[in-house]
Amino acid sequence: MSGGPVLASTSPLMTVRGLTRALPGDPPVPLVRGLDLDIARGTFVAVVGPSGCGKSSLLYLLGLLDRPTGGSLLFDGRDTGPMDGDARAQLRLEQFGFVFQFHFLLPEFTAAENVALPIRRLGRLSTAAARTRALELLEAMGLADQANKTPDHMSGGQRQRVAIARALANDPALVLGDEPTGNLDTVNSRRVVEIFQDLAHKQGRAVVCVTHDPDVAAAADVRVRMRDGVIEGVD
Amino acid sequence: MGRFVLLLDIALKHLAMRRRQTAVAVAGVGIGVGFFLAVSAMLVGSENDFVKTLIDAAPHITISDEIDRPTPQPAVQAYPGAAVEIHGYKPRTEARGIKGWQAILAAADAVPGAIASPSLTGAVTLRVGGREQALAVVGVDPAVYARISDLESKLAFGKLRDLETTQGGVIISEELAEKLGVGMGDIVGATSARAGTRTLRIVGLIGRGQGQFGTTSGFVLLREAQSLTGQPFIINNIGVRLTDPYAAEAVADGLEARFGYKAESWQERAADFLALLVTRNIITYAVVSAILLVATFGIYSVVSNSVADKRRDIAIMRSMGFSQGDLQGVFVMEGLILAVIGIVAGWALGFIMLEVLGSLSFDVGGRARSLPIDRSLTQYFIAGGASMLSAVIAAWLPARKAARVDPVDILRGAA
Repeated sequence: MSGGPVLASTSPLMTVRGLTRALPGDPPVPLVRGLDLDIARGTFVAVVGPSGCGKSSLLYLLGLLDRPTGGSLLFDGRDTGPMDGDARAQLRLEQFGFVFQFHFLLPEFTAAENVALPIRRLGRLSTAAARTRALELLEAMGLADQANKTPDHMSGGQRQRVAIARALANDPALVLGDEPTGNLDTVNSRRVVEIFQDLAHKQGRAVVCVTHDPDVAAAADVRVRMRDGVIEGVD
Repeated sequence: MGRFVLLLDIALKHLAMRRRQTAVAVAGVGIGVGFFLAVSAMLVGSENDFVKTLIDAAPHITISDEIDRPTPQPAVQAYPGAAVEIHGYKPRTEARGIKGWQAILAAADAVPGAIASPSLTGAVTLRVGGREQALAVVGVDPAVYARISDLESKLAFGKLRDLETTQGGVIISEELAEKLGVGMGDIVGATSARAGTRTLRIVGLIGRGQGQFGTTSGFVLLREAQSLTGQPFIINNIGVRLTDPYAAEAVADGLEARFGYKAESWQERAADFLALLVTRNIITYAVVSAILLVATFGIYSVVSNSVADKRRDIAIMRSMGFSQGDLQGVFVMEGLILAVIGIVAGWALGFIMLEVLGSLSFDVGGRARSLPIDRSLTQYFIAGGASMLSAVIAAWLPARKAARVDPVDILRGAA
């Protein structure tokens, strides 16, 4: 059965209809098939399922890093299908924030510089103002004293919080996490989950988090269960 | 502007992380530019010196008494256009020389900035104490000839104007004087087929190594030459000097077409040498450009390695919202930074090399000579421009690859 239940929402931030992604081949190799999904603001969504079920593929499609081979994907009512590479990059810059399993900070830059990168690229603030904003975000993550350290001088939990601060740099409407606690201990995992809950509930952002971690799934408002590239169910 | 500064910042950070490779690449470009500069400056310098010698040694245009067609015989002139065949006649002997040379002289002088000098060249034999040497005697007006030739500056002894103040004065080369065993002020006998023997006094010596004047040529007053060779009122040569030497071909063609006498430009005279220079330039620039090309491999290597090492960072930046153009810009800038630093270092190296080369002195024909070097800024711009162009291409190729990195492939692999 292709497609799955649609999350109830009066004003969906992201609307997915019949979303399909297949790798070229004879026959094509499907990654996700005919997904229908609405993602509302202020909601923490966990996408769960066994390895290879298409969770990360869905996340990359939602984050406009990959292009679907079928179906449509609307962000805030805008169809992202006809957008060219630059328009998609601009949308990611302004509206999306990514957090990955590994921190993926740029090693040459300090924590503050890493967080300031998307702000500087957006170009709405001066370099000095971008740094101030980066410091505020680091402080909110409890990392004010780590601002001038490079990633190799920080712990795994600290790096992941810097990555979250960077994801929030341009005040995105949608935060996408790909196993964000997969490389953290229990204490740091719990802290990251609390941050994600705050982002959704207190700041009104939509958070979509792919995870194998039952604690993260339990903390989410909605759990989307996937198997073999389709949505199996929603709790 | 903010975007440019950001991309530049990232590029600088990348290079700072790989200092050794960066230093090697910069050194490569620097050495390439330095050698390009040194070689091309010497090449152009020697070419300029050689061409200047060609241009200055003799008049830019030489009109001689050679004609395209022989003057028609009187019998033919008597029946112009008639169907008459004349044979078995005795040709009339004509006096050599340029007829109506005053008109040609006036026409040449009428060219803006041009100076025309009449002369007569003939053959005599110099005799001193049983020694004999053939001399191509050139009769000139010293005041005018000094303005169309650099003979005056090539005199080791005496002055060109001394021909006017000394009865029977002659200027010969030092080499010829040595063969005859004579020096300044000495008297030599001069014999020609038509006018018998006269005596001449040496009033000037052309310095050694000035082959462009001919070691067996001698300069006398025009009327002296006319008398010496038995050709009164005759001239067989008009030398013309122009303000723009490179206009010589066009002016020569015009004069030849108008008067029928052969007018040879300095380019025509030195066509073989000029062709040789072109060949030499092609070979040398090919070799030196190869040095630059090899230098840019260093840039390609650094940028290419940087792209390979930063694939994960590229994917992350793409996820942040950096565009393909941004990523390409970062890596092209890395190449340009290497090129700019390398070029500046190369300019400094080249400048030092040119100073050292310029200070070297060589003994040529008993005279100290230094290497002719073109120190004009043009050489610096050519070396810098060629390097920059190579660097852009060398950096653009891997940068394009960076822009094409599929972030999903990288992120999947890293997860």
